[in-house]
Amino acid sequence: MKPAPKWLLAIAGIVYLLLHLPVLVLVLFSFNASRYSVSWSGFTFDWYRALAARGDLWRGLRASLTVGLVSTLVATCSGTLIALVLARRRFTGRRVLEGLVFLPLVTPEILVGISLLVLFVLAGLPLGLGTITIAHIAFNISFVVVVVRARLDGIDPHLEEAALILGADEITAFRTVTLPALWPGIIAGALLAFTMSFDDYVITSLVSGAGSSTLPMVVYGMVRRNVEPTVNAISTIILLGTSLLIYGADRLARAR
Amino acid sequence: MTLRRRILAALARRPALGTATLLAPGGLWLVLFFVVPMLLMLGASVMQRGTYGGVEPGFTLEHYRRFLDPLYLQVLWRTIVWAALATVACLLLGFPVAWVIAASRRHRSLLLFLVVLPFWTSFLVRTFAMIFLLRDTGVINSALLALGVIREPIALLYTPFAVLSGLVYGFLPFMVLPIYASLEKLDPALLEAAEVLGARPLERLARVAIPLARPGIIAGSLLVFVPAMGSFLTSDLLGGAKQVMIGNLVQNQFTTARNWPFGAAASFGVMAVVLVAVMVSLRLRDRDPGRVR
Amino acid sequence: MTSRREFVATAAALLAACRRNGGNAPAAGSEELGPLERELNIYNWSDYIAPEVIPGFEKEFGVRVTYDTYESSEEMVARLQAGASGYDLVVPTTYAVTALTETGLLARLSPRYLANLSNVAPVFRGLAHDPANAYAVPWLWGMTGIAWRTDLIADAPESWSVFLGGTQAGKMTMLDDMRDVIGAFLRYRGHSINSVDPAELEAAKRDAIQAKAHLKAYLSAPVKGQLIAGDVWLAQLWNGDAAQARKEQPALAWMLPEEGSTLWIDSLVVPKSAPHPRAAHEFINYTLRPAIAAAISAATGYGSPNQAAMPLIESPVPYPSPNELARLEIQKDLGRASEAWDRVWTEIKSA
Repeated sequence: MKPAPKWLLAIAGIVYLLLHLPVLVLVLFSFNASRYSVSWSGFTFDWYRALAARGDLWRGLRASLTVGLVSTLVATCSGTLIALVLARRRFTGRRVLEGLVFLPLVTPEILVGISLLVLFVLAGLPLGLGTITIAHIAFNISFVVVVVRARLDGIDPHLEEAALILGADEITAFRTVTLPALWPGIIAGALLAFTMSFDDYVITSLVSGAGSSTLPMVVYGMVRRNVEPTVNAISTIILLGTSLLIYGADRLARAR
Repeated sequence: MTLRRRILAALARRPALGTATLLAPGGLWLVLFFVVPMLLMLGASVMQRGTYGGVEPGFTLEHYRRFLDPLYLQVLWRTIVWAALATVACLLLGFPVAWVIAASRRHRSLLLFLVVLPFWTSFLVRTFAMIFLLRDTGVINSALLALGVIREPIALLYTPFAVLSGLVYGFLPFMVLPIYASLEKLDPALLEAAEVLGARPLERLARVAIPLARPGIIAGSLLVFVPAMGSFLTSDLLGGAKQVMIGNLVQNQFTTARNWPFGAAASFGVMAVVLVAVMVSLRLRDRDPGRVR
Repeated sequence: MTSRREFVATAAALLAACRRNGGNAPAAGSEELGPLERELNIYNWSDYIAPEVIPGFEKEFGVRVTYDTYESSEEMVARLQAGASGYDLVVPTTYAVTALTETGLLARLSPRYLANLSNVAPVFRGLAHDPANAYAVPWLWGMTGIAWRTDLIADAPESWSVFLGGTQAGKMTMLDDMRDVIGAFLRYRGHSINSVDPAELEAAKRDAIQAKAHLKAYLSAPVKGQLIAGDVWLAQLWNGDAAQARKEQPALAWMLPEEGSTLWIDSLVVPKSAPHPRAAHEFINYTLRPAIAAAISAATGYGSPNQAAMPLIESPVPYPSPNELARLEIQKDLGRASEAWDRVWTEIKSA
């Protein structure tokens, strides 16, 4: 693609800046000595030290990561398959399936949460990280389908047909032609799914069980009552952690 | 014949089987963990409300009738307007970002990552960071006062501007990621051809790039509009809870109002309206001549 | 078609109810509770306990405690009503206790394991939400009033009417809570905070809409930060939260309006589905010890209903005086009238 025109670059630049301004404030105030983060009253590492004692935050982080990774994996795989079918094949009930895939995005979260809770109770399923993961997969599938579908719609199906004509079987044609072209869409969908899962509060809190608090659930309380800088501290650590992770993964991808 | 060929041959004879297999995991999940719970709630929406919460047996359509009251329709309309505004704002701000990401080769993963990074903090924490920025004694006002640009703090927080900012902030990656996925596939030769044929930059954008990125734009718009219809926390935290969105209404029914059936009925009312919007947009996308078919 | 749907729905509700009461452990509420279990699951408001209480309990009794928090009493109630189980203790507010007992979700307490129950002050026993003291043990109590910056406002507020006037326009907030806002204006007109009279609600609605024009926002707990910073000068707020804010901003005061307001009590209750009822009772008894109750009150800033603990607290929140008691009301569950109240609240918010 050609490089962007100047004014487009300018808008994008401003958006990036504005996007990260709150984040910068967040990081800055994690070093603020004042408890209520009202004004700057001195630099301190106290809040980071306090984090060590907050076992609930670390357990929450671990829970969120586990649920996030599992639900992203399952949702991305099954969602991509659905997107493929919707884009490439015709069958009765196709429109219905398209609508069905959208429904979870339309439904108010509290309805989704309460309805799933009732279902789990009726089915006798114990509430916990498992039920949270089930719920997350359910709404993540929709996100993945929408993103991957958008990507698929830009891929020429004739390329795959050409591969078939040239003698490849369907699996090989898919693997060597469609999949590489689809890959950025799948990654984008997975990214979105993980983000949604990591950040979810309403549905998660409704279907969680004793001892299965995810990070947003722990943080909600801390932030709603007083905005404690300990929250800023763990947020900064999460940002640092994910940055390092992505940097490492990117390095790995380039080295190959 | 190898096993692989045998399977493929069998699937070739019965394409429906292949379709079913591909759809099975996701489809079954959605049916089991979405459709079934929704059916339960649909049942609840036509039952009597329990006096202290929950439902009691007794068929009634009063909850749906109640939703048609002008007061609640007004709430629905207000939510639609906000969601539409957020979608347009996300589109105007998100398209340039998606373009820049798709256009860059070396920094692509970094730029993608930077778009998503803010969302790996918690929604509440980000929102409170925005409050620090926007409030009367906040960062922005303090800076403007110190620079002498203004003499009194401007009311930035608890205004429609704050709510819109919060919504855009919350939904931007939903717009950027699908558009990026679409744009990335854009053949640069098409743009070059347009340039050679004498099209100005704006024309190239409007008549070549945007139509070809339409699937992504529509997907992004739906991914913003639809969840924005259900959002209410942003309006509460950044708007000072001075407006009631349909999300607030539904939330209240399951909590303080102790009226689960009405909550369910209102939810289905909203879902119906939004589904219509979705169907229309999907038709728009499928009829798109710019789409590669 | 109708009867079939009804049948399915009823069957579903019945099934859910059956599962709630099932289980192998002796049902909480029976006299004999069995031996002390090794675990305990507590579900409480966030920031509503002293940090040393849980470790102290764990050490003394050898019980492993899982401590989860929630942000909304109503959401907790909705979850329990939908069938969520696994919690041994929850902490609902007065009218939420009613909602839970009326839907059959709470176990009757077994007093033989609650020797310290006598420490609770009589003024907090035998109240409307638990007349026989069978289900709930008070945890903390508080009042809703008005907090204001003494350095930014010259005249101290005296009445709920301060929200109707324009003197602090744009610098005032009220709680984002249906009961608190409508309740305040009901008291303003001399009516009960539990009123279900349409005319009284209509008057309160008109007052609330008039006040809305002068409000900066409807804010609950997060208003503390704004009061400290000086963005907000006057706020409807609970006394404990005001006390917490005063620690960082001394120029803050709190008062009870002359027309009266709400007295609320959060109580420990044991759900019928509690898997560890004996441990739950031991924990309740533990927190009824004067020293423990004093620590909880000191840490949260709210009043302790434990009269034996009062001498141990440095600057305790005194029990309401008879004069104040006369002006204070306890919130009752609205029952069927919650629909009318919700409509009024929606109208206020839509104005």
